[in-house]
Amino acid sequence: MIGNHRRKVLVVGLDCVPPELLFGQYRDELPHFNALMTAGLWGELESCHPPITVPAWSCMMASQDPGQLGIYGFRNRADYGYDKLSIATGNAVKAERVWDLLSRADKKVAVVGVPGTYPPRPVNGLMVSCFLTPSIANQYTHPAGLRDEIAGLVGEYMVDVKGFRTEDKDWLLRQIYEMTEKRFRVVRHFLRTKPWDFFMFVEMGTDRIHHGFWKFIDPGHRGYEPGNRHEQAIRDYYRYLDRELGELLAMIDQDTVVLVVSDHGAKKMDGGICINEWLLQNGYLALREPPRTPTAIDKCAVDWSKTLAWSEGGYYARLFLNVKGREPQGVIEARDYERLRDELAAKIAAIPDHQGRPLGTIVHKPQALYRATTNIPPDLLIYFGDLNWRSVGTLGTGAIHTFDNDTGPDDANHAQQGILILHDPAQPGGGREIKGMSLYDVAPTILHLLGQTPPPHMIGKIIT
Amino acid sequence: MAHERGCTIWFTGLSGAGKSTITEQLVPLLKERGCKVEVLDGDVVRTNLSKGLGFSKEDRDTNIRRIGFVCNLLTRNGVFAVSAAISPYKAIRNENRALIKDFVEVYVKASLETCIQRDVKGLYKKALAGEIKEFTGVSDPYEPPDNPEVICETEKETPQESALKIIRRLEELGYLVPASNNGDGYSGQEEEVVKQRLTDLGYL
Repeated sequence: MIGNHRRKVLVVGLDCVPPELLFGQYRDELPHFNALMTAGLWGELESCHPPITVPAWSCMMASQDPGQLGIYGFRNRADYGYDKLSIATGNAVKAERVWDLLSRADKKVAVVGVPGTYPPRPVNGLMVSCFLTPSIANQYTHPAGLRDEIAGLVGEYMVDVKGFRTEDKDWLLRQIYEMTEKRFRVVRHFLRTKPWDFFMFVEMGTDRIHHGFWKFIDPGHRGYEPGNRHEQAIRDYYRYLDRELGELLAMIDQDTVVLVVSDHGAKKMDGGICINEWLLQNGYLALREPPRTPTAIDKCAVDWSKTLAWSEGGYYARLFLNVKGREPQGVIEARDYERLRDELAAKIAAIPDHQGRPLGTIVHKPQALYRATTNIPPDLLIYFGDLNWRSVGTLGTGAIHTFDNDTGPDDANHAQQGILILHDPAQPGGGREIKGMSLYDVAPTILHLLGQTPPPHMIGKIIT
Repeated sequence: MAHERGCTIWFTGLSGAGKSTITEQLVPLLKERGCKVEVLDGDVVRTNLSKGLGFSKEDRDTNIRRIGFVCNLLTRNGVFAVSAAISPYKAIRNENRALIKDFVEVYVKASLETCIQRDVKGLYKKALAGEIKEFTGVSDPYEPPDNPEVICETEKETPQESALKIIRRLEELGYLVPASNNGDGYSGQEEEVVKQRLTDLGYL
């Protein structure tokens, strides 16, 4: 109902929640999520490319693609040198996000833990920044005094879990619960004590538990053991989240629209492809001296004068070509660029799995994905095994395939489909499933719900 | 480098708390960064912009509103406007915050006892002797801010430390490009901390 000046919007962000769990396996055990779905609208929410926390949440809240934002992952090339990668903090987000637009429209906003909000910016309301905060000793809130208020409420606020790479899963689980419990306590406090028209928070515990515990729950995972003692860990956590959601819902009124959203989904991780090792073995990358032990590429003696391409590791691969006149020791002539890019895309897409079977790798050119390619895009984006395999940037492994992550245990990768539930008490949706929604639709929908006209540069549509 | 985006740095605190002293330290630091800076000092404003106004609640409010009006004009034209008046009343400060929006409130915090001890201008002595009426902290209230962007505790910090604290906060808020890094908002050490966290989490 446009023009209802009392209308408010609460966005519950749950990083990495996949439709298969929330809408599928666990739905019947989650009464509060289920009630929102039953009375509202719901469906899969397609993420951006890549479906990674940074840039996904900023893409969602600016309704612009990563190319338009110029943010292609957590770290982006600051120049065409070989080693200058800068972390995409909030400073890298030049586009206005929903809270900026609403602040200008004199709406009161509250933003808690949304990735891409460190350092915190002034808003008409409050902002608690995200896990890109170095530590809570940093100024991570706006206004500044909020930091003391949070400390008084929960003691040591956790921007993220500590020491994620651990085999001590009981300890990790305690960390995740502690982080989530503190976040919800802060959220309830602000819901109760601060004025707001728009309230959004993002909980990261869902992502951390998927990456840390997926092999215990997924019979399709190579590490799964039936009857293992963590088999219910993720299910139990979702039940706990449902109780937390129930407490929030009890605090809001009939003028409040609730959105539950995730930035991407999750899927099992089958293994890793050592992309730089493959480039080395196939003559695209040269080393002055091979490393004796597995070594990150930025620590290796790369012979740039003989290197055509190199790549970064992560949940997906970003591949860069060494182009004459662009990179400091570029070797690829401009006229050969597209030919070589196509050649690499085809060869990489054809890398088989460890048993010689097709892997189903998807290779994207940024120019074909995005409306613009601001800043310095990678030359190729690669989803090994359609993201069932991660990219391993380490050299010196001697093998293309690996089942040991270069940084420690990790059971899950990201999937393209996230989730959205929209519950508007004034316009019940009757449990209708909506098809074809994208992450870019969230910001225009929020603005519309709050009586604002989405600016024309937003690329999403209003969900109805 | 010229800054396209200005802001108002709004000091508030008792007479003698250290507003003008910190301002003296702050202004050159801002100018070093290429900022256009204008200071609206409480005493100077009262002899010009607000000449003739007294110290009743009404006159004080008018004075602060006038300063806010000028700060707003400056801020929207890319200037860093520094207001260094006592600005004792919360409601008017918040009114200016709502008007200006790019508003960085700096609470210069010092106890009344300390300010009385300092008494740089000899005003407390006169106020306590009843020679000045409606003197903030003595015979007129001072309302500290609830959520200032910066708190400078001048009983614990040097003016230089306070000024650097404000600079750091302006960097965090995006009004200044951090001098010591490549624009991500981190010092070198902080960047390493976050990079390790992202590596541990599997993002890198």
